[in-house]
Amino acid sequence: MRRVLEGSHAVSHAVELARVKVISAYPITPQTHIVERLAELVADGVLDARFIRVESEHSAMAAVIGAASAGARSFTASSSHGLALMHEMLHWAAGARLPVVMAEVNRAMGPGWNIWADQTDSLSQRDTGWIQLYCEDVQEVLDTILIAYKLAERVSLPAMVVLDAFFLSHTYEPVEVPEQDEVDAFLPAWEPTEILDPADPHAFNQLASPEYYMEFRYKIQQAMEDALRAHDEIDAEFGRRFGRSYGAVHRIPCREGERAPLALVTTGSVTGTARVAQAALRQKGIGVDVVKLKLFRPFPHEEIRRVLGPYDRVIVLDRNISFGSGGIFASEIRAALALRGEQPAVYPFVAGLGGRDITPQTIESVVARALGDEPPSDILWEGLKL
Amino acid sequence: MPIELPVHERMYSGHLACPGCGAAIAMRFLLKGLGEKAVLSIPACCWSIIGGPFPYTALQVPVLHTAFETGGAVASGIRAALDARGDTETQVVTWAGDGGTFDIGLQSLSGAAERNENILYVCYDNEAYMNTGVQSSGATPTGAWTTTTPTGSPKPTRKKDIMQIMAAHRIPYAATASIAYPEDMVRKVQKAVSLKGTKFLHVYAPCPTGWKVPSEISVKLARLAVQTRIFPLYEVEEGVRYTINLEPVGYLVDEYYRTQGRFKHLTREDLDRIQAQVDESWDRLKALARIG
Amino acid sequence: MSPVTFRSVRDLPPMSRSTDTMLWNRTGSWRFLRPRYQDKVAPCAEGCPAAEDIARIQILLGQGDFEAAWLRIREENPLPGVCGRVCYHPCETACNRGEYDDPVTVNSLERFLADHAWKLGLSPPPPEPAAGGGRVAVVGAGPAGLTAAYFLLRLGHEVDLFDAREEPGGLLRYGIPEYRLPLDALAWEVGLILNEGVRFHGNRRLGSDLTWDELSGYDAVFLAVGTWKPAPLGAEGEEHAQDGLTLLEAIRQGETPEVSGKVAVIGGGNTAMDVARSLLRLGAEPAVYYRRRLQDMPALPEEIQEAREEGIPFQTLLAPKRIEPLPQGGFRLVLTTMEILDEDEGGRPRAVPSGHPDVEVEVDAVVTAIGAGPSQGAPAEVTGEGLVAEGLHLKRIAPEGEWAARPPVLVGGDLVNDRKAVVTAIASGKEAALVIDTRLRGRDATSIWPSIRVGRKGGVSMNRYLSGDRAAQQDHVVRYDELNTIYFRFQERRERPRITLEERRTGFDEVKMRISASLALKESERCFHCGQCDQCDNCYLFCPDVSVLRDLRAGTREINYDYCKGCGVCVVECPRNAMILEEEPR
Ligand SMILES: Cc1ncc(C[n+]2csc(CCOP(=O)(O)OP(=O)(O)O)c2C)c(N)n1
Ligand code: SF4
Ligand code: SF4
Ligand SMILES: [Mg+2]
Repeated sequence: MRRVLEGSHAVSHAVELARVKVISAYPITPQTHIVERLAELVADGVLDARFIRVESEHSAMAAVIGAASAGARSFTASSSHGLALMHEMLHWAAGARLPVVMAEVNRAMGPGWNIWADQTDSLSQRDTGWIQLYCEDVQEVLDTILIAYKLAERVSLPAMVVLDAFFLSHTYEPVEVPEQDEVDAFLPAWEPTEILDPADPHAFNQLASPEYYMEFRYKIQQAMEDALRAHDEIDAEFGRRFGRSYGAVHRIPCREGERAPLALVTTGSVTGTARVAQAALRQKGIGVDVVKLKLFRPFPHEEIRRVLGPYDRVIVLDRNISFGSGGIFASEIRAALALRGEQPAVYPFVAGLGGRDITPQTIESVVARALGDEPPSDILWEGLKL
Repeated sequence: MPIELPVHERMYSGHLACPGCGAAIAMRFLLKGLGEKAVLSIPACCWSIIGGPFPYTALQVPVLHTAFETGGAVASGIRAALDARGDTETQVVTWAGDGGTFDIGLQSLSGAAERNENILYVCYDNEAYMNTGVQSSGATPTGAWTTTTPTGSPKPTRKKDIMQIMAAHRIPYAATASIAYPEDMVRKVQKAVSLKGTKFLHVYAPCPTGWKVPSEISVKLARLAVQTRIFPLYEVEEGVRYTINLEPVGYLVDEYYRTQGRFKHLTREDLDRIQAQVDESWDRLKALARIG
Repeated sequence: MSPVTFRSVRDLPPMSRSTDTMLWNRTGSWRFLRPRYQDKVAPCAEGCPAAEDIARIQILLGQGDFEAAWLRIREENPLPGVCGRVCYHPCETACNRGEYDDPVTVNSLERFLADHAWKLGLSPPPPEPAAGGGRVAVVGAGPAGLTAAYFLLRLGHEVDLFDAREEPGGLLRYGIPEYRLPLDALAWEVGLILNEGVRFHGNRRLGSDLTWDELSGYDAVFLAVGTWKPAPLGAEGEEHAQDGLTLLEAIRQGETPEVSGKVAVIGGGNTAMDVARSLLRLGAEPAVYYRRRLQDMPALPEEIQEAREEGIPFQTLLAPKRIEPLPQGGFRLVLTTMEILDEDEGGRPRAVPSGHPDVEVEVDAVVTAIGAGPSQGAPAEVTGEGLVAEGLHLKRIAPEGEWAARPPVLVGGDLVNDRKAVVTAIASGKEAALVIDTRLRGRDATSIWPSIRVGRKGGVSMNRYLSGDRAAQQDHVVRYDELNTIYFRFQERRERPRITLEERRTGFDEVKMRISASLALKESERCFHCGQCDQCDNCYLFCPDVSVLRDLRAGTREINYDYCKGCGVCVVECPRNAMILEEEPR
């Protein structure tokens, strides 16, 4: 069924379709529409779930950890400061191998207070053991929630579906909403074996000494590696069932069947802007292939090398910054490429922080800079008031 | 007269509590009071150690070890999941230390209580952060030595009145209990289990290691705490109906303080001041309560 | 059980999750102190000359096993029905509960148990055959002789029990009035002893109907003929006085003695009380005259109190000086007024004439009850010099002269005891049986003495004797401050009810009534069970390490040293000091 949905509500409907049993969340702009709609769905009995109205994001994450530990498919949503407050529990969810799914609306961290799009919040959670999936548009948001559950439950790791503040969360787009029975076929009920059960009592998450801690970490890493393959399979299955698939890394060539000299790596809704800029540049005779990175954790090293390796130059557009280092996607990509003998020159642009618009012009500008004489450097700022 | 308690034993020997640990005794009584179907969530505390490292457990009930400040929330989540599974029978219990309750976990406990989650929250109170080596908590009493309130400057302020805080949430049931009064404690656990909504038990559980006392007197100290009125046994229903369960003998606080290394620096004047505090609290409690 | 190890990451569960219990962890290795169950001696048991294991008896009573409790008494004392009525109960004086509120009414519970057995017609199981093999003569069938006979028989010896009177019982039968010790109660209990195979020979007075030649045919002789001979009053005209004991015997025999009107009873002991109270019941007007003060009277306080309740006047600090017959019948009794000067070496207050004028009273009769000397027929040796010490309540005629050729002659009961009482006589009898048994087995009695004594000051225990080294042999007597009294509640002592004063003044019905089973249970609840595990289960309950194991069916418990960390909580929480904490053997 085709409907026009706000990005936040696409999340809510996906959660409904996923037959989530326990939802716990705490409001923060710009995530509020997600939880408000979910609260309504639960209140109206449309969604047969329990909504735990906690007093903080920390508790929200703790509550879904509890719920998932007792075997319930669980969901939460947050953003920025809320996500930061969850940080401890993000580790806990992953370490406990709980396939919790979270919608994370990318928003800048204060101070100063800023509610607009910025990826630093989610990327700061890079090392927590969560799968991270970045979405380009509202349709992808809806679909990715379903994919995320299947993936998370297959590898027993939590997954974060990331959407940009306002550009996605508060934007209405026409969306194909799948039928419930189709979703059920794709995403059957979660039937975990390792749960809290009075009939088979175990202790979970107890002290792990140096004798075993490392092995548990190894297992998480393995699960992440499995997730890489699993994502592609599940994405492909989703494509077969629903006619849409996204890929962990998706190359959008300037001209079908050709390789442009320059690749532009984007994430989130900026990919949509990049598509527009790509067309405009093509008109001007400048060929740029857009490479959309969806899966950030696990990081698709191989795929990155395969897709980006052959280019002369690669631009990475980061709407985030790791202070003292630079754009986070860029540094990960450079690290992945380092395993290749011959490497493209990487242009790591930081742009659009705190919700500053990344327009097609912004993209044209970075392309121009990368194609000009400017040498690649550790960090390049775009749009800075100098 | 032998004390009649359920005979079942859901705790194994071999756990890692220090000799004479009140928290271990308290756990036994909790488990005696709980029915067959129970799930425990344990935030960081001594019991995170006592229960045993991977791949072991000292308990015969399922346990979810969790982060320090999450007692209220994790239990809420487990409850929701069990309800979703159609299991309304299993009692979800949080078992937290005083630090995890009075301090870092107070927020999530308050949240759970405000929502009146159908859980039993048990705080075993050993009056400091013991897991980390005896640092002061909101439950540490006036005058006590801890590693963060050294004898040169012992804890200046009073112990937080957690029961009043919980009563203020108007939860169906809040009660104090003590390892020295097993029948009372088990009865309270059973009563709590029989009620729906948030139930709170504040259990006095001396820590010989942290209190600098010989291990053999831990139960005796718990009893003295009751009999000196330092830790009266009472219940609060719906936040307003107070019942004192045991009329204390009313020994002077000296009886209790003098035996403990953590108080040995206290002067006569200190003890008099503490006695006055205890008397004042007791009078206030008596004014609220009927003797039951 | 050994710890689990995972060799490969592949074998690990996905997350930190238990696959096993902590039971592999033998925390017993942490221990440097070791708790242990150890029954100790209750002060009551030490106080009881018969060494009754009172705490254990109370435990059994409290469990409702009245028969077992009764049999337990009989392990040390074959006459609980008698003692439960007439004993001066030093157990109660020693009782720790006295420091808490009031002593347990051990004495009335003892009577309850005996009466219960009597009422139901219980009889003890026949004694186990024992290979004693001796032939023993017991001379005197009072409490000492009966007790000696009872134990000797149980130890496998043949016993001939002789008495000067027709029936066995001695003082119990012929000296104690019916209102204190009904004949049927006594007969039942004596019957139980004789039924076990003791051969009783009545009307055999030593010296006349029983000769030392005959006695010399035995392997040993126990002599306990009592002190029936009246002591001289030391007053002018004392031939006009009647002997109290003789009077009591006559009354006991159903005779109505010719004593009426105002009667002066001289003395302050139990016999004086018995005489005065018996006379009252026969319609006379007795008054008691005593040379010291009321508080110095050797009679049991409760006897004195009962006598006074019944309206018998007491005149103290008056010593008889002269008895003058009056022409119109009756006598003038002249008494010297006394005062207390100081104490003699024995700590007894010494009364001397005060110098105040004498007191004169006119009475219809004077009866003396001032203690007595060895009964007729007792050899002269029993009065001191000729005796050597043998036990706590036992002496022996020194084997010199003619005695060297005779079998050993042990002497007990009132003949030798400082405190002349039923229970000390019973102690004598038991000691005699023990000494004879050890001697006949060729062992040295003195060497076992320490191990069978209860506490440091108490009597000897047959139970300990029979259980040999096994019961080795705690003599730690539990002090009040060693109890964890917080576990006890204040509870009023329940005295046994008595018949009405009117009934008491007019008849010989037993003054103290039976107590009901429910009252007995209630009262028994008051007993702390000092030093004896009564399965209160505190040790089990408070163990932080689940290391006290119970066998619920057998009612036993033991410490699981595999896991016990030696914290000692159980020892402190034992209300009754039935555990100890000792250094872990290395
Ligand atoms: C967020 C966080 N801060 C600090 C700690 C370290 N920590 C673990 S247990 C503990 C003290 C627990 O004290 P309490 O709750 O009283 O339990 P006890 O150890 O006394 O049994 C602390 C400070 C932690 N685990 N998590
Ligand atoms: S430190 Fe205290 S509370 Fe912790 S295990 Fe030891 S005795 Fe128990
Ligand atoms: S309380 Fe019982 S055991 Fe203790 S002394 Fe008294 S009678 Fe004996
Ligand atoms: Mg604590």
